[in-house]
Amino acid sequence: MKKIISNNVDETINIGAMLAKHLKPSDVLALFGDLGSGKTALVRGIAKELGSNDAVSSPTFALVHEYHGIMPIYHFDMYRVSSWDDLYSTGFFDYLENGGICVVEWSENIENALPESAIKVSFEKGEQENERIISIEGCIEFENTIG
Amino acid sequence: MNLKILSVETSAVSASTAIFEDNVILGEFFNNTRQTHSQTLMPMLKALLDNCKININDIDVFAVSTGPGSFTGVRIGVSAVKGMAMVHSKPCVEVSTLEAIAFNLKGQDCIACAVMDARCNQVYNALFDVSKNGIKRITEDRALSIYDLKKELEMHEKNIILVGDGANLCYNNMLDMKNIFIAPEHLIFQRASSVAILGAEYANDKKLVQASALMPFYLRLPQAERELNKKQNNVTQI
Repeated sequence: MKKIISNNVDETINIGAMLAKHLKPSDVLALFGDLGSGKTALVRGIAKELGSNDAVSSPTFALVHEYHGIMPIYHFDMYRVSSWDDLYSTGFFDYLENGGICVVEWSENIENALPESAIKVSFEKGEQENERIISIEGCIEFENTIG
Repeated sequence: MNLKILSVETSAVSASTAIFEDNVILGEFFNNTRQTHSQTLMPMLKALLDNCKININDIDVFAVSTGPGSFTGVRIGVSAVKGMAMVHSKPCVEVSTLEAIAFNLKGQDCIACAVMDARCNQVYNALFDVSKNGIKRITEDRALSIYDLKKELEMHEKNIILVGDGANLCYNNMLDMKNIFIAPEHLIFQRASSVAILGAEYANDKKLVQASALMPFYLRLPQAERELNKKQNNVTQI
C-alpha cells in the first residue's frame, strides 16, 4: 500500500492521471472516503489521461456515468445503494464484464461485492484544509513508480 | 395454423434473433462478440427481417427469453419485444432462458444441465431429462453455488451434458465426475432459434401474454444473503 499526500484539488487530479497510466481494461477502482475528499477529482484526472473530454461529475442520481476515450470508463456512485437488489439493478455486474474501467465511489457500501482484484483507493483529510492523504492498494505498477 | 414467430435472446453475453414458421427456422442472427445488446439488437433484427424478406407486420407472435440472466441483458430483450409487439398489437410468449438452453440438446439421451454463469462461483441452473420421449423438466429454474450443483449432479447416474454459457466453468469444477460431458460449441449458447421453437409450442398451447404483461424474470443469488457492506457485517456479528 502506498500513501500519497495531495495538497490541493489539482494535485489530486494529477494523481488520478498518473494512476490512469497503469490501468488496464476490466480494472475496477474502488474509492473510499467522505464527501469532498477528492474522489471525483481523481476520476477527473483518470478520464483526462484516458483521452476523454466528457464532463466528469458524481453520478449520485444517475448511479453511473460513462466517459468515452481510449477505453470506456464507468463511473459509479454507490452512495444510495444499500442492498444486493439495488446493486444488481444498477447493472454493476454487467459493467464489470464490458471491458472498460469501473471506478466506484462509496465502495464502502458494496465492499462485499467488489472483485478481489479491485484497486482500492482511500481518501482521508490531512492537517491542512485542502490536504488529503490518498492510500492506494492493489496496483503494484503504480506503487513501484512512486517509489 | 402456421404462426410466424420472431424471437429475441439477449439474456447474457451473446445476442441472437430468429424467425420460425411451420417447423422451419427461416433465419437466425447470432452474435457473441461482447458488444452492447442495446446497440446491436435492433440492427440485427432489421438485417434478419430484410434478408428473409419478411415485413415485421407479418409476424404473428413475438417470443423472448425472459431470464434468468444478466440484469441489463434480459431487460434489453424484453423491452425490445415489448415495444415491437405493442406497436403491432401482437401477442408475446415468455420462454425461460434455461429451458431454451436445454432445448439445444433435443434428441439426445441424457440429463441436460443448463447452466449460466452468475459470477462468484454461482450459476443459474435447471435440470431436464432428455430422451426420445422429449424434454422433461426435473428442477425449477434456480440460482445456486457450483458446489451445491455438483453435489446434486453426483446423485445422477445417467450421462449429464452441460450446456449454456456456464458449461465450461462447471465442467472445470467437475473434472472428477465420469458421467459429465460438455455440449459442442455450436450448441452450447442460448439461441434465439430454440426460443422461437419453444415459443411456437407455447403459442399453440395458448400460453400467450400481452405485450404490457411481459416481464423480466430474475432469480435471487445465494450471495445476496450476505451483507453488502462489510462494516454492517461486523455489527450484526456483535
